[in-house]
Amino acid sequence: MSITYHAPASWDEARTLLAEHGDDATVVAGGTAFTLLLRQGLIRPGHVVGLQRVPHASRIDVDAHGGIAIGAMTTHTSLEHADAIRRTWPELADAVAKVATVRVRNQATIGGSLAHADPASDAPVMLAALAAQALVVGEDGAHRVPVDELLVDTFTTSLLPTEVIRAVEVPARTPATRAVYLKYTLRSVDDYATVSVAARADMNDGRFDALRIFLGGVGPRPMRAVSVDRALTGQAADEALIADAVPLVDDDIDPIDDVRGSAAYKREMARVFTQRALTALGRMA
Amino acid sequence: MKLAHTATIAAPADRIWAAVMDIPAAARCVPGVAAVTPVGPDRFKGQLLVQIGPVRLVLDGDIAVATRDDLAKRATLRADAKDSRLGGTVRASIDVSLTERAGACELRIESDVHIAGRIGEFGQPVIQRKSDQLLAQFTQCIARSAAA
Repeated sequence: MSITYHAPASWDEARTLLAEHGDDATVVAGGTAFTLLLRQGLIRPGHVVGLQRVPHASRIDVDAHGGIAIGAMTTHTSLEHADAIRRTWPELADAVAKVATVRVRNQATIGGSLAHADPASDAPVMLAALAAQALVVGEDGAHRVPVDELLVDTFTTSLLPTEVIRAVEVPARTPATRAVYLKYTLRSVDDYATVSVAARADMNDGRFDALRIFLGGVGPRPMRAVSVDRALTGQAADEALIADAVPLVDDDIDPIDDVRGSAAYKREMARVFTQRALTALGRMA
Repeated sequence: MKLAHTATIAAPADRIWAAVMDIPAAARCVPGVAAVTPVGPDRFKGQLLVQIGPVRLVLDGDIAVATRDDLAKRATLRADAKDSRLGGTVRASIDVSLTERAGACELRIESDVHIAGRIGEFGQPVIQRKSDQLLAQFTQCIARSAAA
């Protein structure tokens, strides 16, 4: 078995390489997931396109309104500590700080985390709740895909083999925006989540507006708690109303039994942690 | 790993049963199946391509009808397949039954799947979800073709 390693020095060069080798090529960002799959013998790509030499691929830009664009090659550690993120979306910095261990966070990138589409990963769940979009480049130029549409199934994105994620854009918040990410791990703190919940809302006069709740670990992709969103949008962050709405999360998730808990247990924990996330948003109002 | 799927189909029982037990035709209802051909009485060989994210499985194998009761509309199939590129085997025992219920029929497919080798390293939850999807698509497709 031989692998040809390509190190493009620009996004254009990366696009050209993928147009040429698409189906037989794997894009590598930080390489944490890629290395495991390769060592387990589960993938045998003919070509590997490494993005380490693409300039400015780990830049973080903040626009005039406070919207941010995070270069795909930004590591979780850089994101966690970046001033630009701490100023705009500290909740996102806190969420990525919960990923695995410091060794993984030093290496794994935000673009890689999205492209790998592991349904139990942390960053994709939070990014989906924050209505983030991926800036995707491919043969036909660049376009944006909402994160919750990018992630379609277990380890599966809507990306074509010729496409690559260049950046992740998180829209600006308003002064009323609140967000929270809760991660419940059953075995050890550096494990994948049994259940994780990301929630964001604009808290206007103590009411939930533009509420977006996403859960990780309980379906083939980050699952939107759309029934709870609908029930509580426009409602007061009242303990009794929250308690009434939370059981609806059951209709929005599809967990299976695995080493991190039975499907029934994950359903129970999804209710518990959704309630905690909503209560936390209410307290921040 | 045990998987169970049911589908309610509004079509005559005989027609549904014929659609299910025509193995080469029924196999076309599984997404990713390449031609299934008979190799003997109640024995077939075929290929299944499964893509789970970056991982591509090419499963070459046999399907045998182990038991079949056309009157009671029950059958047991055994499937044995391997991926020689990645290294790994999949062995499944599949119980199929059809029962008439108030003008419609319930098709029930219960599978017991064993996975060994590298494929197994991919993680049982992922494989379970994928098998679940394939079976769900299969039952829907059978339902469509029998109702047509």
